[in-house]
Amino acid sequence: MPDQAALVVEHIESGYGGVMALRDVSIRANPGTITAVLGANGAGKTTLLATISGFVRPRQGRVALDGTDLTRRAPEQIVRAGVAHVPEGQAVITELTVEENLRVGGLWRHGPQGRAAALADAYQRFPILATARHRSAGTLSGGERQILVIARALMASPKVLLLDEPSLGLAPRIVAQVMSLIQRLRDESGLTVVLVEQNARSALAIADVGVVLNVGRVVVTEDAAALAADEALRKHYLGF
Amino acid sequence: MTLLRHLVAAVVAGAVIWAASVQLNAFRDFQMAEIAVYVVAIAGLSMLIGLSGQISLGHGAFMAVGAYTAALLMLHLNWPLWAVFPASAVVTAAAGAVVGLAAARLHGPYLAGATLMLAVALPSLAVQFPGVFGGDQGLSVTVTTPAALGATFPPTRWLAWVCSLAALITLVILANLARSKVGRDWRAIRDDPVAAALAGLNVARLRVLAFIVSAACAGLAGAMLAITTSLVSPGSFTLSLSIALLAGAVLGGLGTLIGALWGALVIVLVPTYVTDVATSHGFSGGVAANIPIAAYGVVLIVVMLVFPHGIQGGLRRLARQFLSTPPTRLGPPGQRQPAGEPAEDLDAPYRRPPVSEHQEEGTS
Amino acid sequence: MTEFLQFTLGGISFGMVYAAIALSLVLIWRGTRILNYSQGAMAVLTTYIALTVINHTGSYWEGFVVALAAGLVLGALIERTVIRPVENRPPLNAVVVTIGLLVLIEGIAGIIYGGQYRSFPTAFSITGLHAGSVPLGISRNDVFVAGAVLVVALALAALFRFTATGLRLRAAAFNPYASRLLGVRVGRVLTLGWALAGLIGALAGLLVSPNTFLYPSSMDSIFVLGFTAAVIGGLDSPVGAIVGGLILGVVLNYVGGYLGSNLVSIFGLIALMAVLLIRPSGLFSVTRERRV
Repeated sequence: MPDQAALVVEHIESGYGGVMALRDVSIRANPGTITAVLGANGAGKTTLLATISGFVRPRQGRVALDGTDLTRRAPEQIVRAGVAHVPEGQAVITELTVEENLRVGGLWRHGPQGRAAALADAYQRFPILATARHRSAGTLSGGERQILVIARALMASPKVLLLDEPSLGLAPRIVAQVMSLIQRLRDESGLTVVLVEQNARSALAIADVGVVLNVGRVVVTEDAAALAADEALRKHYLGF
Repeated sequence: MTLLRHLVAAVVAGAVIWAASVQLNAFRDFQMAEIAVYVVAIAGLSMLIGLSGQISLGHGAFMAVGAYTAALLMLHLNWPLWAVFPASAVVTAAAGAVVGLAAARLHGPYLAGATLMLAVALPSLAVQFPGVFGGDQGLSVTVTTPAALGATFPPTRWLAWVCSLAALITLVILANLARSKVGRDWRAIRDDPVAAALAGLNVARLRVLAFIVSAACAGLAGAMLAITTSLVSPGSFTLSLSIALLAGAVLGGLGTLIGALWGALVIVLVPTYVTDVATSHGFSGGVAANIPIAAYGVVLIVVMLVFPHGIQGGLRRLARQFLSTPPTRLGPPGQRQPAGEPAEDLDAPYRRPPVSEHQEEGTS
Repeated sequence: MTEFLQFTLGGISFGMVYAAIALSLVLIWRGTRILNYSQGAMAVLTTYIALTVINHTGSYWEGFVVALAAGLVLGALIERTVIRPVENRPPLNAVVVTIGLLVLIEGIAGIIYGGQYRSFPTAFSITGLHAGSVPLGISRNDVFVAGAVLVVALALAALFRFTATGLRLRAAAFNPYASRLLGVRVGRVLTLGWALAGLIGALAGLLVSPNTFLYPSSMDSIFVLGFTAAVIGGLDSPVGAIVGGLILGVVLNYVGGYLGSNLVSIFGLIALMAVLLIRPSGLFSVTRERRV
């Protein structure tokens, strides 16, 4: 295990409009691992991802990727540093087709040839998108959309993938498919994933590290398997 | 009690105006009348935009309706002023009802577009029916000072009195309306029409009512304009007038009645002042006439960028900071909200909830 | 019957100018949800610039090109400085700012160039064309006007559909949040949208000024009618802008020809209200207006 963490979040204090959603949050996501960020609604999980990807400016603290300081940079710059953020609710561009959604994902990264290659790669990995490529993205089902936005984020070959509640609103069978997809991404591509989830059980099943947030603070950072095995912790913070 | 308060304020203001009108010369008296005209027109527009949230770019057209109504009543039927003013307001209110009904389903740019087209199209009606409306030349209007005041009484002072009285009465009525249930209902449909409808308010009816009231004000203002300028012609009601009214409403402070006064003062006094300064500095007549126009534009832009609440909003902020004691802080230092800002600003224009904070672009 | 034909063809020519203004308004509306009330004034300024170049060099086409370039620059400049701060604020702010721009630009034009009516040259001859012995009521220049707008519209369509830049423009217009997440520099894209709109508006000014003469407020009525065309077609629809412009141009030309020029703006109002009462978002609108 390399000792230089891929994504480092240090002592972040961050929030909106005078309410600090995060107070003194520190997380390390090592390369090629899945870090599950768990906790109840309002614990600050979404704010954490928004702070990392640049949509919320932290009042204090530091965000760094492979040593490069990303704190308080604009989202466009953070994306170009190798961070891809798939938000809660997916943000599919419904007025564009599936293929166009994918292409937008790769625009900044590749020239014309690279784009074609990245697109072919995406269709190979996610055949379900290939069959729907010319359909309007608004016609996709919930599970298909989730796969689309993950594939779209991968078009730019990011180093870090931030996923905000990918299981939201999906049937359990689809949730399992999405989770196994994320697992494959880590195993096959060495992608670093930060996975925010309310569905703690599914998240911990595939994660390497589990972090629990409560009212804006980190209360537990633990190996995922150990965390899943700790009944008292689970019941208290995660509800199962 | 609100009514009493407003009446007292009006009486005091009236006394001040009367005293001033006696002191000032004829030209200033005339300007006083002009200011009263615009106060009434802008107050109506300010209520429409600031309280009910509907943008109208065609207010000049309503002034035209009132002005022509007044001119026709005085020319053909010899009605006295005290009858002409309300009649003009009523006729224009009816026009406002028609427009309001047509526009009730529109909002945003579609409403703005329709009212813009109205502002452009209506004056051409006057040219189309020259027999009735006097065509391009227009109709001339004469007002005689009542004999009771004596033969040497300056006519401009009479105009100033009449117009100021009309303006004060209008402001009292509007002030009471704004504080009444109707005013609160307007604010509700301005801030969130869907929620208001769910709460049982008849949104369409309230919108039309707002149009009716603001049109009535514009009609009255048009009648006042007719007697002050003695001439009613299409050239007085171009798009520029509608723009000027909008500017006055915004600059003064939307939804506030005192803002209508600031707006009227700016519209009437600033252009001539700037032109005078420009000509005295040696600019030729043509250039000097355009400098206030350009300055006007700059002011509109700057005010909207820096002081979205206009002059009245700016004054309120200052007053709050100097007069009130700051409340105890509820959160960590460095909040976005300044200390003195109340939770509910009754007269604040609509605020769309932000999609995401900190959307500023990087230096790329 | 020839009169009808003449009015129709003449209306198409005028209609294309309205379509151009409408197109530039739609472009800005889709990108920034702002209605640019200064579009006509911007066109006046660029046309004055063209006139200065033409008088200086004697070449119409040099002035033409410079005006289009000036339109690009002016549009970008305005978005970056004055519009950017009001893009996320309530719509009224943008209304006042663009109206302020309208007043400011016309004032500047008056200061620099004066208020007198100036004549502006046409690109091609204005002698009437004939089909055999039948006068068509239009000239070679009118054909150029229609053709130029059509070419620009098609070029724009191609840009949007087939290029990466066009994809960015569409993505940023439909969903700026998602686009930012994907690294699209939404700010730059919006600036580009305004620049393109400035270009199209400049074209409209060049094409129509020979008819209206050039003075600071000469584009006011053209703007209002272009705005009407955009609303009729649906503010979200570039196709609607063209169709709306053509319909309006032809219908108003009939009105002007058969009923007198004074009734044109009234019929414009009637046409506008008729469309809005039946389809409040315009003929080609995709988004459904929320009903309250």
